[in-house]
Amino acid sequence: MSDVNTPSDGEPDQDHDHAHHDHDHEGPGYATPQAAIEEGGREELAYVMSLYVGTDVDAPDFVAVVDLDPDSDTHGEILDQVELPNRGDELHHFGWNACSSSCHVEGLERRHLIVPGQRSSRIHVIDAKDRRNPELVEVIEPEEVFEHDLSAPHTVHCIPDGEILISMLGDADGELPGGFLELNDDFEIEGRWEPPGEVEMNYDYWYQPRHNVMVSSEWAAPKTYYPGFDIEDVEAGNYGQKIHFWDWEEGTVEQTIDLGEEGMIPLEVRFLHTPESTHGFVGAALSSNIFHFWWDDEGDEYRAEKVIDFESREHDDWDMPVPALPTDILISMDDRYLFGSNWLHGEVWMYDVSDPANPRRADSLSVGGTFGEVQEVQGRELAAGPQMIQLSLDGERLYWTTSLFSSWDNQFYPEEGERGSVMLKADVDPRKGTLELDEDFLVDWGECPAGPARAHEIRWPDGDCTSDVWQ
Amino acid sequence: MARYEVALDWVGGPSRTIDVDENETVLEASQRTGRSLPYGCRTGACGTCVGRLLAIDGTAADDDARDEEPTNVADAFAYRRTPKALKSRHRDDGYVLLCIAAPRTDCRIAVGSRVQAELVDNPWK
Ligand code: FES
Repeated sequence: MSDVNTPSDGEPDQDHDHAHHDHDHEGPGYATPQAAIEEGGREELAYVMSLYVGTDVDAPDFVAVVDLDPDSDTHGEILDQVELPNRGDELHHFGWNACSSSCHVEGLERRHLIVPGQRSSRIHVIDAKDRRNPELVEVIEPEEVFEHDLSAPHTVHCIPDGEILISMLGDADGELPGGFLELNDDFEIEGRWEPPGEVEMNYDYWYQPRHNVMVSSEWAAPKTYYPGFDIEDVEAGNYGQKIHFWDWEEGTVEQTIDLGEEGMIPLEVRFLHTPESTHGFVGAALSSNIFHFWWDDEGDEYRAEKVIDFESREHDDWDMPVPALPTDILISMDDRYLFGSNWLHGEVWMYDVSDPANPRRADSLSVGGTFGEVQEVQGRELAAGPQMIQLSLDGERLYWTTSLFSSWDNQFYPEEGERGSVMLKADVDPRKGTLELDEDFLVDWGECPAGPARAHEIRWPDGDCTSDVWQ
Repeated sequence: MARYEVALDWVGGPSRTIDVDENETVLEASQRTGRSLPYGCRTGACGTCVGRLLAIDGTAADDDARDEEPTNVADAFAYRRTPKALKSRHRDDGYVLLCIAAPRTDCRIAVGSRVQAELVDNPWK
């Protein structure tokens, strides 16, 4: 079931229609980030991780297909639910079998979604050839994953030759160390990608092939974060505060930066899209700071520096100042803006990062969460703050969902499980650097047939700001 | 093979009693009988399936008794593997991971997603 079609006679595939393609590339995606902006078109559908795990609803998690076409009668509705065969997965992050990094691999298609269960360690393969009616085609059972002494799959990226790499947060028992699992282009487990033990903790990662570098971040051992957030674990040093720079080809860690107290729980990590750049950002959720990292030519090493600091806020009903908890960040396709979500405070924000060492606050929107000025949209009460974010390729529409992780939701926003998540949208003016809530747009997971569901990561069918990499 | 009666009290919901074989976990039995408990990893790492032991052998299940002297989980269940998701304070308070726990006696357990939410507090509130 490979997505690479090898012409049998070795001749160029005469049936392949090049008329609509840029002649410089043959495979999936776009030749450059700028080409993605120009050729991508407006997003009409979104795939969204949707889940029942951890609730009393006796139903499996599903992948929602959401209609984003403003001219459609079903705009803002869930068009289709791709149901999974088992309960208990906790769908979380997911990715494509191929992205723009493989844009020179002829015959490869961005067609299959790799959808891991964070709690179950089960890995699903969904064929999205029919963009509106994707179907489940393959399931890798947890036992096959445990054989490689790994569990808790997280970030999925393609390796630019049809293979797939998944960050794994724990060993087979839910303890440390985590590592990376590699799938081949037939979606079979190839084995571990790296020599075991290169890192203890793992979470998100991003790579920049032109510089032969990958960067990875740290959450904690699955057994630590699965049941909920326990402050005792912070005191015991059970949460991460380091980022790791890898030799991308060798799969070995070349450098580790300890971000210290101000860098606790570094989650989402992103390089700029332009393949020439070595600059990137990582959000430290617990200490509520954003770090900039870059290759320092003179020092011959990577360096990291705190560039944004979100202050805790006093709340009358809370005993202690409430941290912002920036749980997701994203870089616009043109690399001009950094967007993020402060899940506890209830805020989405955008910073101008034209000078990545000196981000300049452009705008923010106070919505949902503990402090949000807007607490309902279209009469629908918001149960939690903005969490996973996704931006249109042209940088003009920012979307977000509200669930972080089922057990953490239950702890900080217990209503999320009872009311379900929503997906909201802000209109972005990249020229003026402003955000404005679109009150006409609301997708409500509270109305799902089996009961209220949570919603997590969002992807566009043809590439987005948090999955595409360029060679 | 011994079978035990395990009463499941959903917090904020219904109660029902199921028969569980001595070499079957409470989660497996709940799935077999059609109304499943919440679960995630099924390896004892995530805590999604957690229940709280209320009483053994039909002894009185009242909250006062629980506060004074929690019922001992080891008297009621045998674990298939180590319950990683539970800290010692949880074990002392009678929490039990039902994906890896097989009964050794008749008992009554509080179950459902709200039991999981009891495991950790919001540290800022
Ligand atoms: S299902 Fe994860 S501990 Fe039982």
